Amino acid sequence: MAETDRSENERVARLRATVVRELPNVDFVLGYARGFDPLHATPITVRNEQDAERLIFDATCVENLATSLYGLRGKRMGLVVKGCDSRSVVQLLQEKLVDRENLVIFGLPCDGVLDLAKVRVRTDIAEVRGAEFTGEEVRLLLPDGEKVLPRRDVLADKCLRCRYPNPVVYNHMIGAERTPQGEEDAYADLESFEKLSAQERFDFWKRQMSRCIRCYACRNACPLCVCKHVCLADSRDPHWLSAEANLQEKWLFQVMHALHLAGRCTECGECQRSCPMGIPILLLKRKMNRELKEIFNYEAGVDPEAVPPLHTFQMEEDKIKDRGQLW
Amino acid sequence: MRIGVMVCHCGNNIAATVDVEAVAAAAREFPDVVYATDHMYACSDPGQKTLEQTIRDLKLDGVVVASCSPRMHELTFRRAVERAGLNRYMFEMANIREHVAWISLDRKRNTQKATDLVRMAVEKLRVDRPLTAKSFDVQKRVLIVGGGVAGIQAALDCADGGLDVVLVERKSSIGGIMSKLDKTFPTVDCSVCVLGPKMVDAGQNPRITLHMLSEVEEVSGYVGNFEVKVRKHTTYVDWTKCTGCGACEEKCPSRKVPDAFNENVSLTTAIGIPFPQATPKRATINAEHCLRLTKGKCGVCEKICPTGAIDYDLKDEVVTEKVGAIIAATGLNLFDHRKCGEYGAGRYPDVVTSLAYERMLSASGPTAGHIKRPSDGAEPKTVVFIACVGSRDRSLGRPYCSNFCCMYTAKQAILTRDHIPDSKAYVFYMDIRANGKGYEEFVRRAQEEYGVEYVRGRVAQVYPKDGKLIVRGTDTLLGQQVEVPADLVVLAVGVEAAKGAPELAEKLRISYDAYGFFMESHPKLRPVETNTVGVFLAGACQGPKDIPASVAQASAAAGKVLALLSKDKLESDPQIAQVATNRCIGCGKCERTCPFGAIRMRELRDGSKRAEVVETVCQGCGICSVTCPVRAIQLQHFTDSQLLAEVNALCRIWDETTES
Repeated sequence: MAETDRSENERVARLRATVVRELPNVDFVLGYARGFDPLHATPITVRNEQDAERLIFDATCVENLATSLYGLRGKRMGLVVKGCDSRSVVQLLQEKLVDRENLVIFGLPCDGVLDLAKVRVRTDIAEVRGAEFTGEEVRLLLPDGEKVLPRRDVLADKCLRCRYPNPVVYNHMIGAERTPQGEEDAYADLESFEKLSAQERFDFWKRQMSRCIRCYACRNACPLCVCKHVCLADSRDPHWLSAEANLQEKWLFQVMHALHLAGRCTECGECQRSCPMGIPILLLKRKMNRELKEIFNYEAGVDPEAVPPLHTFQMEEDKIKDRGQLW
Repeated sequence: MRIGVMVCHCGNNIAATVDVEAVAAAAREFPDVVYATDHMYACSDPGQKTLEQTIRDLKLDGVVVASCSPRMHELTFRRAVERAGLNRYMFEMANIREHVAWISLDRKRNTQKATDLVRMAVEKLRVDRPLTAKSFDVQKRVLIVGGGVAGIQAALDCADGGLDVVLVERKSSIGGIMSKLDKTFPTVDCSVCVLGPKMVDAGQNPRITLHMLSEVEEVSGYVGNFEVKVRKHTTYVDWTKCTGCGACEEKCPSRKVPDAFNENVSLTTAIGIPFPQATPKRATINAEHCLRLTKGKCGVCEKICPTGAIDYDLKDEVVTEKVGAIIAATGLNLFDHRKCGEYGAGRYPDVVTSLAYERMLSASGPTAGHIKRPSDGAEPKTVVFIACVGSRDRSLGRPYCSNFCCMYTAKQAILTRDHIPDSKAYVFYMDIRANGKGYEEFVRRAQEEYGVEYVRGRVAQVYPKDGKLIVRGTDTLLGQQVEVPADLVVLAVGVEAAKGAPELAEKLRISYDAYGFFMESHPKLRPVETNTVGVFLAGACQGPKDIPASVAQASAAAGKVLALLSKDKLESDPQIAQVATNRCIGCGKCERTCPFGAIRMRELRDGSKRAEVVETVCQGCGICSVTCPVRAIQLQHFTDSQLLAEVNALCRIWDETTES
């Protein structure tokens, strides 16, 4: 365990050194620094060596920094990514929304990040004075002593089924590659949800959507929500959504968000993580992704060279037979 | 805005199940509607006059007509609106016939739904904008795909009308299936004797360019300005030098090549001319069987050719033709009889297809017109014909009738009795379909004058026994099993779409049905047009058709092309995609998804890119519009705002009724 610590410390040192080496080539580097408490990391803009000393990397680095990419396009920048974050970068590259030449990517193989909601039910986060992460455990330093949590109990769901712990696109790979821990995604959550009757599912979403406060945190946290100033939720011409806070408008917005991500969503989970109301909106996106996998055998954000199935036109798809029964 | 609404009775078509007066009364309450009325026939002359007069009298800005499908009368009303001085796109149609009156008898709910549809149309009209068509020059040339009798007829008619014609044929001679036939029904005249003169005309007409052994590779452009890439497969013979003397064919040592023209009944050589009347009469090398091309040795034809036309190094050539219109006349394929194992097809040599039998009957065929069984060359004394092989058979996925098999079977039975007077002919059939001019009389002649035995029933099995083929089936009229010992069994194979028809349809951007037959624009009123303007249909590519019907449709298609290309300029449809350049982020997704290549990226002065629509190429399908992440592309006349206005008109109603 001490060994893990040491190697992780060495890794952060290497990250800092590599970032410093690349600084002359970029305007700045986006990375993680320690946040307001030991369980939070915060994004920082590294412009000089002093900034670089603040860089960290551990299980608290939950944010997907690729979310900032589209807004900062045109700048020459460095970006620290985990495996899952790198898939967002791939998707943005495929869609030509960012230029690869302007990017220096620092890829960090990842062992999974915390789901603070899971920690919160086990302990009072505000009391935590320090945290240590090892391969199997999360050790929290509390005023009345140490509390040890099994790591798998507090990892984010997406990490438990992660197939891409290693960045799929990078300039510098920092740290040894991880073996994927997740199984092939069986969409167990969807399966059990779809066992409910139509009325039960309808009631479920009605209940969930009625809690939405239309803060648009989900949209703003999404690395692929690139409409920004012309988002349909804000548009007055066409006037798709009114400002009313009723169920219909809230629900329609979430459906739009899910449909706009069809074939694009890499399931980084930022939408659901950022939702202050804890609405399980990732489920909608996972539904779309499963369809995509079944129909096109495609997974978004894995291969920078791949053409996403909804971004091309083909007369005949393998699984959609249009040419009639004789062919 | 001042909107007028006219609700049509369509005689009793709509009025019987929709309270049209109530719909009109409801429409008067809709925003901006200043006038609403009902009319017995809105499309009639008085209906249109009323419409025009009302527009002028009440100074209307737009009109909604609630009547039939826009596919029927949208153009009629757009013209009427235009005559009254409005832009033709300031018009909306609510389909309350096909979408309401014809599908439900519930008068109350029909009236409610019709009112909803009118409300949607009014709301859309309120955000409609005038659109203006642009005009462009046209190419006065036509491309015809397929050189069968339909293609030839269409080519001759178009050329007569003064158009230059490009005729593309997959085989090395024009003539198609008709050139393979011995006789035609119901006149029993020599097929190639009536077709021959037309083939010669087509071959010699200076306005007609023939591309033989050729296939359409790519079609781009639009009505009036199609650009078609044609791949000309090489013949390895320089046709400018070949005289069709046939010396090469005589000397070719590769003599075991299945003769496709003779339906593989006989063998032929690796170089040759498929049949005496072939047009153009030029030799072609079959690369699969040529010894020089497969093994590198031989070269006999090169030495023997008196004009030095043979060139083994010739390569495929791709030519680009610019044409204003295209006629698809790709004809048909025959059902693969081997799929019917119960008839022993493919297993017993003496079970043959009708077209193979036709070649045996032909004086220029492999047996010089003498009927011989393939197995031992003996003259068959009992010939059994089985009808509907691969037709009207749901278990084979071919539920349709192939149209002409009944007739050619009667003809072949008659010819059998003519050729071998002491023979017996049996026909197993389901029903006799003889609905053309002189057809019924012809079948009667076969039965009465020629004594052909017609057995109504299906054949269960064909099996060999003592040198004969036992045909076992039911006679449903007698209600008993029958067994006929036959010397030869002829399968009246049905019709399939030509091989590659769906792929060609996709290149031409026309629709096809589940069986690969091309779809006409309207089964009754637009039988030769497709839904792609400038592409027309002729012959069996549209559905099983006999020769007279194919020829008639070919002339009809030619007439349509001549009418279309009689104008010097055509108008483009303004209902196309438009890019809001200030919104476009230049991601290029629209360019990648456009099926028509109608979008290109334009570079601005600052080096950034923006999408641009090539207006004449855009077909208005709207794929780019839904792909655009920032909604920068809008389909004119179907913008987000316009569609949303319709949705809101409908959903507001939903709210009020369901919440209470």
